[in-house]
Amino acid sequence: MAAQQTPGSSASAPAPTMARLSRLAWVRGARVLTQGGGATFAVVALVLALLPTLFDGFFGFSAGFQLHRITLIGIFVIAAFAQNILTGYAAQASLGNAAFFGVGGYMLAWLTNDLGKPYWAGILVAVGVAAVVGILVGGPALRISGAYLAIATLGLVFVTVSLLDLWDTTAGRQNYDLSNLPALLTDDHTLYYTILVITVVLLWLGRNLLRSRVGRAWIAIRDSEAAAEAVGVNLARFKLLAFVVSAMLTGLAGALYATWATTASSSMASADQTIAFLTMIIVGGLGSITGSILGAIFVGFLPLLLGQLPSPLTIGSAQIQVSTLTTGIYGMLLLLALVFFPSGLSSLGGRGRALWTRLRSRAGGQP
Amino acid sequence: MTAVLQVALAGGVTGSLYGLLAVGIVLIYRTTGVLNFAYGAIAAVCACFMYVLLTGPRLNFWLALPLALIFAVALGIALERLFARPVLNAPVFTKAIATLALALVLQTVAQQIWPQLAQPEHFPSPFEGHATRIGGLYISAIGVTVLGVTAVVMVALALFLNRTRLGIAMRATADNQPVARLMGVPVGLVFPLVWALSAVVAALTGILFASQQAVIDVQFMDPLLILAFVAAVLGGLESLPGALLGGLIVGLTDSLLALVLAGRHVGALDVSDPGIRAALIFGGFVLVLLLRPQGLFGQAVLRKV
Repeated sequence: MAAQQTPGSSASAPAPTMARLSRLAWVRGARVLTQGGGATFAVVALVLALLPTLFDGFFGFSAGFQLHRITLIGIFVIAAFAQNILTGYAAQASLGNAAFFGVGGYMLAWLTNDLGKPYWAGILVAVGVAAVVGILVGGPALRISGAYLAIATLGLVFVTVSLLDLWDTTAGRQNYDLSNLPALLTDDHTLYYTILVITVVLLWLGRNLLRSRVGRAWIAIRDSEAAAEAVGVNLARFKLLAFVVSAMLTGLAGALYATWATTASSSMASADQTIAFLTMIIVGGLGSITGSILGAIFVGFLPLLLGQLPSPLTIGSAQIQVSTLTTGIYGMLLLLALVFFPSGLSSLGGRGRALWTRLRSRAGGQP
Repeated sequence: MTAVLQVALAGGVTGSLYGLLAVGIVLIYRTTGVLNFAYGAIAAVCACFMYVLLTGPRLNFWLALPLALIFAVALGIALERLFARPVLNAPVFTKAIATLALALVLQTVAQQIWPQLAQPEHFPSPFEGHATRIGGLYISAIGVTVLGVTAVVMVALALFLNRTRLGIAMRATADNQPVARLMGVPVGLVFPLVWALSAVVAALTGILFASQQAVIDVQFMDPLLILAFVAAVLGGLESLPGALLGGLIVGLTDSLLALVLAGRHVGALDVSDPGIRAALIFGGFVLVLLLRPQGLFGQAVLRKV
């Protein structure tokens, strides 16, 4: 590196360091852009940024509606990533993430509607409350593990649903409608860009966290709790941290979902919602950020694809209401994924590349 | 005093239902390591089959019952073949998630086959409207039947598991599968048998619960399932009598809480709501787990590293 320095920049001491740093950053950026992953990344970023414009041209009248439906996938990505941090990285058998999701949505509704607080303050408090619930769940999880934890967290989901239901009936409403949203966020385009930016920033922060000491500790706990403890990983601290981070992200996703739907309902905290999150990370891939994204896209698109089927669907003499099939199809996909693709969609790229290299080397006669 | 006894009796009856479900859950968990969240759906599907036999061809209740139990056996074996065997070697949590998915699939399929059961329907049973009064206590025919069936099932299971070759083979497989296999236990036969046996217990529980409620739909077992799991964990997830005892504890607590909280309000909040009760029971359950992570009757397991 030093040999390539330009003579002018060696005049003062900090300058070469700066130049080196900037060149390093530049080189790294260029490398990311020119290598395979980088090119894909650039194309994806461009498409995501231009998506509203593309939609306007493609769908015409229904562009706003279609964009609004697609926006949901961003919220799912956050929730799937949160579940993946807890289950795929830190290996905590949580079936309770839907509870954080519901709590986030209801807190936002309560703060902005009944208390008249500003929207972003409401978001912050909702995330904070979700974090507290995360501590309440994560605390016991330090002593309870495996099957017991799975049952306890699933119980949390059932209790949260009935308590939210009770809140709704006590207040005499069906759903908790958010009537006090900022006007900006009721516009489909702004909402899309807001959620896109939040999702990308969170994924980037999350990726850095997973590559830091914290992420390495989680992975060590997953691979062997005893070994991790032996090399000095504080199990209690990092498990609790995994619960809190996951709860905060899921709570945020819940608040954003309530914003997206302009209403919060107790079904947000249902066992079906938990199953949807688990389907995302298992179909996508455990312990993988790409997996979280792919899984969320998959689960998000499924109802849209099923919506394209004629309803009622006629098979032979039987008539089937397609909408009643959705949860069953989630279940079937989850089962098939567990049996045939235990490592998820994100592993398919690697498998495909391996197959391609093998085919090419066979055709070329080279090893 | 009579009120407390009456409530205790009701608690014992619902507790027995939780206990029976917990016993079936433990039976599968101990032998195959599957934490079966689809157990409620299995019970519901069998009870729905019974309902269809009762209302479609209008079969006699006592004629339909054995048919429903045979259906349960077939369902259990089919599930073991198609579902449990492919995921046999997966980690416990993966298998638990798979059963959640299985529950969704079973409910969707049942709802497609019997669309009338998407909404609650009246479940006809010979116990309906029969009750008697003993020393001031009001005892319903279905309550007595639940207690009787629970006792019979527990005794039969104990005899089967302790006295018959097949039962001993099942316990050996539960204790140590590789060794059991080496000792000549037909493990491949034991697994379907366990699933069939627990499906029969599920069917009995489902039919009893439907008779008690006199109402049935595809998802009617869901509220019972999570409390049955609480019962199974309290019992230590390994022991059948423990599971029944856990069920009775949960049932009695639920009834007594209902008695204590009835008609009380905290501010505008109606604390007699079942949701509050579930939350309290669940909170107590987590506290118990914190104090004894292995459950009330389980033994601490030493793990090898």
